[in-house]
Amino acid sequence: MLDAFEVECFEEVGRDFYRQITETVLSDHNLTAVVSKLRIFIDPRIPIFVAVGTIRDAGASIRVSDIGSIQMQGDETVISIRDETYLAQFLTRLYEIFGHDHVDQPDRFTIIISKAEIPQNFEKIEIVNRADTVLRDLIYAMTVIAPEGFKVRREYYGKRQFYYAASENTLPEHVVEDVVSAQFTLIGEVMR
Amino acid sequence: MILVPITYTGGVYRHDEIIDYIEDLGGYIVQKHEMAQEMVLQAFIPKDDIERFTAFARPLAGEVAESPLVGCEIAVVIPSLEIHHLPHSACDIAEYLRTVGAKTNMVGLARGFGKRISQLNDEERDVINEHDLAIYVLGNFETCIEEKFNGLRRGVNVPIILTGAPPVDALRRITDPPAAGYVGNLGRFMHRTRTEADIGRLDAVVEEVARVLNVARDEIAHDPLSVSPARLKEVIEDGVPEIHQVYSPTPITVQLTGLRIKLPFDRYHDVIKSLPVEEDVTIGDTAWISPSRMRDYILVQIKPFSETHIVV
Repeated sequence: MLDAFEVECFEEVGRDFYRQITETVLSDHNLTAVVSKLRIFIDPRIPIFVAVGTIRDAGASIRVSDIGSIQMQGDETVISIRDETYLAQFLTRLYEIFGHDHVDQPDRFTIIISKAEIPQNFEKIEIVNRADTVLRDLIYAMTVIAPEGFKVRREYYGKRQFYYAASENTLPEHVVEDVVSAQFTLIGEVMR
Repeated sequence: MILVPITYTGGVYRHDEIIDYIEDLGGYIVQKHEMAQEMVLQAFIPKDDIERFTAFARPLAGEVAESPLVGCEIAVVIPSLEIHHLPHSACDIAEYLRTVGAKTNMVGLARGFGKRISQLNDEERDVINEHDLAIYVLGNFETCIEEKFNGLRRGVNVPIILTGAPPVDALRRITDPPAAGYVGNLGRFMHRTRTEADIGRLDAVVEEVARVLNVARDEIAHDPLSVSPARLKEVIEDGVPEIHQVYSPTPITVQLTGLRIKLPFDRYHDVIKSLPVEEDVTIGDTAWISPSRMRDYILVQIKPFSETHIVV
């Protein structure tokens, strides 16, 4: 559940509909647990749609040790995969480090690295930063929530904060920035 | 003889007897759906014979229901069909109207989204005008609907039912000139309509469509058509065997005052024009035949009695 969630619009009916749309979209995209605070401001007269918010800690980075266990067998290093979720990114990373000739995947859950030196702290190498993908997913969800036809948009996501502003007109930068920072203030945050 | 639109739902077993019976009564089959063991017929039958027909269908476990939407073609107009904004409430509206017998077409506008930037091009306008009725499924904000609706209805001369999230009173207040019908509390939402409240909203659309169509039918009754569209459909089915090779769900779509025939205009319009409806009366005498803006189909618009002084 979100710690703070608010939709502001001078049209009450539209506001309630957008509240419902937001709840549906966040739950469809499995983002309800990720978002901490979310505030949406819509003014169809300007027109503008602004969503600002913060995310909870999306979890630590995914490291080699989270994906599988490592065993040394003579010249070879065998990695037994426990969690396949990030396997594609993991393999890409292994190809970068050791080269295609030294990395083999004889079956779905086994990766063998042969004739290559395993770097120190190999287990601690970061494969995926979940915060990146979560924020990207969140921005996509905002695109889905935003009214149809709001094609001119600006989006930002940092370590913890994100915002998404959209309109059908090209609005002056200061207008967008003022609205966005005012919304951040309303959720008790300072825009970074 | 007053023909009323009905839907018959029953098994496939002995359904040919049902079809024969409808034809013997002087009725017409508009559409036939065969789904596994089930059969759904949309037909016109004489008003006085409904009870007789229901009694005939009872031993075959068939159900007969009056469906005011049978025999009309409805355009469900939406500002866009963007992938980001699916599922669209219009999908459910179009589907629900089909369950009560209407033939609906979704018209997703190329540039209908937005407020200031929304547009309707000539092809979209002409396609909408080929229907009996248009349902405009607009969004959640009164401010936007007020500004964009007049642009989206420009040149559209079929009755329009306006739907949106604001209540009916608000929709009525912001439309000038008024639309033919209104359904409120039905804007853009992202979930499928499953709850009772959602189904209630769709029922309100059906009710409003039926009301507006009845008004249109009353108007037609003042100057009746030279021939019934359902009858013309049968004439074409008998006279143009190629229509049976068209794989569309409705090779001939029946409308309130005409037909859409899904055959190429260039090759078939002369054949259709010269088909006799009765002795010395051809389809060309009773209807205007023109190319449809929808693909290369043929559009048949039946002339009123005042134009032809013929009723066949």
